[in-house]
Amino acid sequence: MQLTINEKRLLLELSGRGEGSPETLGGILQKPPESVIQYANLLLQKGLTEVKRDTTVSLVRTAEGEACLRDGLPERQLYDSFKDSIPIAELNRHPQAKIGIGWMKRLGWITIQDGLIMKTGDASPSAVEIALKQPEAAPKDIQKELLRRGLVSEEEHTAWTIRITDAGRSLVEGGLDLREEVGALTADQISSGNWRDLTLRAYDITKSPRPVWPGKIHPYQRMINEMRRILLDMGFTELYGSIIQGAFWNFDALFQPQDHPAREMQDTFHLAGKKDLPENWEQVRDMHESGGSLSSSGWGGRWDPEKAKATVLRTHTTCLSIQHLAAHPNPPVKAFCIGRVYRRETIDPTHLPEFEQLEGIVMDTDVSFRHLLGFLREFYLRMGFESVRFRPGYFPYTEPSVEPEVYIEGLGWVELGGAGIFREEVTAPWGITCPVLAWGLGVSRVAMLRMGLTDLRELYQSDIGWVRSVPVVHSGGRC
Amino acid sequence: MPVVSLPYRYLERLCGTDRKTIMENLPLIGSDIERILEDQVDVEFFPSRVDLYSTEGVARAMRGYLGIETGEEIYPVTPSGISFTIDPNIREIRPYLGSAVIRDIALDNEAIISLMGVQEALHWVVGRGRAKVAIGVHDLDAVTPPFRYYGAPVTKRFVPLDYEREMSLTGIMEEHPKGRDYAHIVSGKPLMPLIEDADGNVLSFPPIINGELTRVTDKTRNLLLDVTGTDERAVQTALRVLCTTLITAGGRCESVSVNGAVMPDLSPAKREISVSGCNRLLGTSFSPGEIAVLLRKMRYGAEASGPDTVSLQIPCYRADIMHEWDVYEDVAIGAGFASLRAELPATFSAGHEHPIQALASAVRDICTGLGYLEVMPFTLSNEEVMYTRMQRSPDPRALRVLHPISEEQTLVRSDLLPLLLDLFRMNKRRELPQRIFHTGDVVSEERTGQKVALASTHPGADFSEAYATADALMRELGVAFTLEKSSDPAFIPGRVADIVVDGRCAGMFGEIHPGVLNRFDIDQPVAGIELDLSLLFGDRVSKS
Repeated sequence: MQLTINEKRLLLELSGRGEGSPETLGGILQKPPESVIQYANLLLQKGLTEVKRDTTVSLVRTAEGEACLRDGLPERQLYDSFKDSIPIAELNRHPQAKIGIGWMKRLGWITIQDGLIMKTGDASPSAVEIALKQPEAAPKDIQKELLRRGLVSEEEHTAWTIRITDAGRSLVEGGLDLREEVGALTADQISSGNWRDLTLRAYDITKSPRPVWPGKIHPYQRMINEMRRILLDMGFTELYGSIIQGAFWNFDALFQPQDHPAREMQDTFHLAGKKDLPENWEQVRDMHESGGSLSSSGWGGRWDPEKAKATVLRTHTTCLSIQHLAAHPNPPVKAFCIGRVYRRETIDPTHLPEFEQLEGIVMDTDVSFRHLLGFLREFYLRMGFESVRFRPGYFPYTEPSVEPEVYIEGLGWVELGGAGIFREEVTAPWGITCPVLAWGLGVSRVAMLRMGLTDLRELYQSDIGWVRSVPVVHSGGRC
Repeated sequence: MPVVSLPYRYLERLCGTDRKTIMENLPLIGSDIERILEDQVDVEFFPSRVDLYSTEGVARAMRGYLGIETGEEIYPVTPSGISFTIDPNIREIRPYLGSAVIRDIALDNEAIISLMGVQEALHWVVGRGRAKVAIGVHDLDAVTPPFRYYGAPVTKRFVPLDYEREMSLTGIMEEHPKGRDYAHIVSGKPLMPLIEDADGNVLSFPPIINGELTRVTDKTRNLLLDVTGTDERAVQTALRVLCTTLITAGGRCESVSVNGAVMPDLSPAKREISVSGCNRLLGTSFSPGEIAVLLRKMRYGAEASGPDTVSLQIPCYRADIMHEWDVYEDVAIGAGFASLRAELPATFSAGHEHPIQALASAVRDICTGLGYLEVMPFTLSNEEVMYTRMQRSPDPRALRVLHPISEEQTLVRSDLLPLLLDLFRMNKRRELPQRIFHTGDVVSEERTGQKVALASTHPGADFSEAYATADALMRELGVAFTLEKSSDPAFIPGRVADIVVDGRCAGMFGEIHPGVLNRFDIDQPVAGIELDLSLLFGDRVSKS
């Protein structure tokens, strides 16, 4: 059992006396009574002492009571201020007149006639005067009178009795180490070597510490970093770009038909102003209208350059991939991007107007659809999803297209992103002749699955309590 | 994507196989199972495959995929002798019309539901909400050919579907539920599209509503189809999908002459594909014969036509086949994605972190080392949080969205510190001290840049804490700086300083003004710092 030196000394003292008051014990131990009570209570928790508390109430003179004891009550002071008689008007000038005249009359010390106050001759000490000297000894009704006149007040006294228990006794009989214990180790004690003579106080390990909250990276950012690490390890170059894009790069260059509903104000955040079209925009127009020089028929209809000049908040990071490819048309290209994208969605637990998307592209001379499946499988495997399967998919800018699904215990097969090979209509305008494997992934969706969240907003409107509580490392890997 | 309801009984009858086999294979031909109900399964198909928006279309694909019936379906079309004229006065309004006749059809309840389903899906996907294409299906026996498609005045009257009295076109647009939904497509035009028979009976007011006269019931045996629109290719696509669906449902198709042009053309398109091109893209080594077999499973007519070629008959309903690669995808689906061995290419490459992200990581290291917790607020914000509560005047360079979806998201953030204060408001009940930071994109005019902000709240948070933290941050960033007096109204006067680097103000720190704290409903003092990283690190971390 861990006892402080003070607890030990108190226990030792008690073992001789059996019991004692804090005052007595404090005198012996040279500690204030309050400290003795504190030690006794600590010993009580360990079952080594009993602590008895008796509360009594006593009457104590107030400051006014003390003054009256010294100078006399107001009625006595007044009585002594004149000889046998005095006109009321004159006595009223005395500072104690207001209280004193009434009392003198009630006690029968004076009579009043025709505005003249006359002493009766009998002014023996009143009951209150007597009681003020010894309030405790006074009759109950007089004590009440004293309280009412504010001459005394009630004071609570607590008397403590500390008694050693049998367990305490047998502990003392077993012997106590009474060497002085030290709390804080000082530099002086260390350098002088004095520490050798010290007993360093042991701490109670059953008590919880005050929590310390370290600065740390947000759990969602940690997961994004993990994805970045995986792709960097797989040899991908990281892309970064503006969240403001022309409709040309966000939609048209990706062979999104101009009348596609997703382009409208209803689904996409439009901004004021127009973006100039890049060189070669005519090639993109031809792809839309007739498939250019490819075997494609295109979408038909007329492609409107003005529509392509609209400015939008990017709806996907694919707009960065195609710009990167247009700037680097020769193989090999392996690039990825994790960035925020915007959709004009009303906020609810599973929809937000902004969220993160991951995007990867591979362009090389001999890459094929099977390699795309290989990259997807490898990525999901490294993310900890061991079972991956592939279903046909559809995206306007890829062909063939595929939707990877991962198996999650308790949820079954969950669709996790989309992938495909960029259509020739997308790559040909920029002189790209090799296939481009591409895949995308809703990062926030993976975060919800990994962290067991039911509301996407929790990722962005951080509850500091939640961020503090999510461990950096959790069972099954890093979060 | 539209949801298609597939009734099991009808589906099993049309497929010629059991429910379990169908359910197992639905995802493999590209459908996403939405709901499994007692009598039916609701599935989603991709918008490119409008031919799968009916039970008939799914059954056709399923029979091929399971090998019950492969190769292309032949759709005979015989002349009906019925003709249509398109009046030139509709040319500027809704110029294109497609039509066909379907005879001897027995539409039971399930077939009618399926027909309505495919019609709705075509309206949505091909028709862009009826603006581009709208479809009418009529009881042919209720009217008398020839028919006329023309522009009528809005005062023209007829009895619309689901009504018992005549209404003017204006009245329909204002009162009829379909009128209210679709009037916007034609409102304001001088004339309205209308289809009449030889006796002047109104069949349809496209794209809004049919007449009650030609209502289709389970007693209807002969159908007249009208497809109107603004895009000829889309009109014909919808017509072909509709005709082939009704033929699969048991009908017989007859052609209609529209201004002399005979339609529908249900003959397949011919194309020859390269076997080596297909194998190169898929990473496979199929022979021409094997590819032909796979494509017949996918309901193409396909024959090996040379050592490196397969000649195709592409079914007329496959509007999605624009390019050779569209066919290669069907080869992969026919083979089954699971049968293609996933593999990684051997190409060597080294990964490169983007300098902006590398800097962001370093900033995170510094801030967490200083004991700050990372938060990740939204990038969309509003004037109230960004400027009003900060006691700052609105930044004219802030990027405002044209049609905000709510008052909460009207602009892209130009600063980060206001968002940290807003998070303190949300976290009032959490234990103090709270120290949080964020680094990320901000936008000014159209330039995307990066900032970092740190904020600390607790009873002792003050200028000294902000100063010491800013000093440490700048030291760790390796950037020399000087301080200048600041009059930023977001801070207490005399307890704020501008961080100056190379003569330019790169940020500020100090003790947040109590007026700002009141506006954010924060009870404790706050020490805050904001720093423009793109200004400090120049082109290394900016991108316009």
